[in-house]
Amino acid sequence: MPLQFIANGICAGATYAIVALGFGLIYNTTNVFHFAHGAVYTVSAYLTFLFLIILKIPPLISIFLALILTTLFGVLIQLTVYQPLENKKSSPPTFLMSSFGVYLFTINLIALIFGNEVKIINPGIEKTFSFGDIILTRIQIISLITFIIITILYFLLKRLKIGKLITAYSNNPDLVEVLGWNGKKIKITVYALGSLLAGVSSILSAFDIGMDPYVGMHALLISAVAVIIGGVKIFEGAIVGGLTLGILQSLIIWQISAKWLDAFTFIILIIFLLFKPEGLLGKKLRIEETT
Amino acid sequence: MNYLIHILIMINIYIILTQSLNLVMGYTGLLSLASAAFYGIGAYTTALLMMKLNVNFFIALPLAVISSIILSFIVAYPSLRLKGDYFILATLGFQIVIFSILYNWVSLTRGPYGIPGIPQPSIFNLNFNTLPKFLILSTIFSLLTIYFFYLITNSQYGRILKAIRDDEIATKTLGKDTFKFKLSAFAISSGISAISGALYATYVTYIDPTSFTISESLFLVTILAIGGAGNLQGPIVGTLFMVILPEILRFLAIPDTIAPNVRMMIYAIILIYLMRKKTKGIAGEYGFD
Repeated sequence: MPLQFIANGICAGATYAIVALGFGLIYNTTNVFHFAHGAVYTVSAYLTFLFLIILKIPPLISIFLALILTTLFGVLIQLTVYQPLENKKSSPPTFLMSSFGVYLFTINLIALIFGNEVKIINPGIEKTFSFGDIILTRIQIISLITFIIITILYFLLKRLKIGKLITAYSNNPDLVEVLGWNGKKIKITVYALGSLLAGVSSILSAFDIGMDPYVGMHALLISAVAVIIGGVKIFEGAIVGGLTLGILQSLIIWQISAKWLDAFTFIILIIFLLFKPEGLLGKKLRIEETT
Repeated sequence: MNYLIHILIMINIYIILTQSLNLVMGYTGLLSLASAAFYGIGAYTTALLMMKLNVNFFIALPLAVISSIILSFIVAYPSLRLKGDYFILATLGFQIVIFSILYNWVSLTRGPYGIPGIPQPSIFNLNFNTLPKFLILSTIFSLLTIYFFYLITNSQYGRILKAIRDDEIATKTLGKDTFKFKLSAFAISSGISAISGALYATYVTYIDPTSFTISESLFLVTILAIGGAGNLQGPIVGTLFMVILPEILRFLAIPDTIAPNVRMMIYAIILIYLMRKKTKGIAGEYGFD
């Protein structure tokens, strides 16, 4: 009975779901393939490292500061890089290349300052807890709890005005502006939330396995796959996609081998793109319905 | 002097790669992130044929091109049915899968250990075993490649590709099977990229999968974005720029440990700037808009 594998998969999937939710929020609302999400992710981990290990600030304050700065960084990218492109009505590949530029710049800056090697925040062996046949580490449990809290907050937010505005904006941005809402502020909120989520996921992962300058790329790719699998046009899709991906990955490690993990993850992506592009939660759209 | 020749050889290899990607990206308007995979297939096929089956370089080369083309059909046939972002994601997926195969199928490719001791090209009694001789070889190939793409892009085929890039639906209404054109452009691009792979393998005489990662694909796309796509000079300008810039940086006495990072940061800033001001790049004809 692969209960332990499924448990591991759910815990990994929990962190995937969080960062994917951030990515999906941005992609669904603004249609920008926010490659720089990976940069935001990496920045969060390294800020935590800076505050906690180098400046020796207490953990909770370090995390709090790191998350605030990460959120601001995400918003900064929107204001300085994307908004000017939107004003010029640039095409999607232009956004993608600019976003990649931001990613490239940030990652190399981090590598320059901190070095390319893996950095650990939490040395030593993690405390484990047993739940029947399953053993979970402390950080896995924290990830699960964080995920549950975020999911609950997500469903609450959806019913509040800002949630409805974001949903409306992702559906028809022009109409929302015509009705008098400030599209720019909505986008800033979306980037803030998305970057915050990336930051949370990043810190969870950093405490678990440490960080290096390339964790962002990996997180970004996972986010993209999760969002496609779950369903692009639906915000919850990222959550479902992230969990599913975590579980699938765990099963692949169990049945096949960890070294083929990336290959299978992307074969799954390709299969979904070809045969179920609307994702697990999505509905098939008629061509007229796609923007 | 030797270093200068080395730079020129790398410029030649990258000109072939960027001209190939240019056909797909600049002329047909498809952003493919799988270019490094075909580069890698060319390198590995050449290396394996030469070393395991003692095939001559000049026979291994066309075989590498053919294997790259066959693989490109497997990649392009499903991917080209997708639009926009989904196409890009599909090519990304294939790139990672192919890299993973090169990296993990150790019994065939020796995976991360790489393939050392690749013989240098030789034909009849001519052995390209010195830097100047290899420079001549690589220059001949890059000039042939430029001429090849000159012929293709100035033909009706090239015009149809540009039409597909500018307005695919309009092109379809004119009766052109756009899928077949996109497929063939992809195949040609992948085949020519394999030539670069073959040259790279026999020049460095050692290959491992880390030269053919998604980062390499993105690097090639960046060269086209900065240098320009959609004409013949864009890729050349881009390649020269990207290869020469780091050499200029040497004069700034940046420590070697951080020099690669500084280089990437400069590329990144230039990329962001160009995407804002001039999506056609330095010398290109097709901007992403």
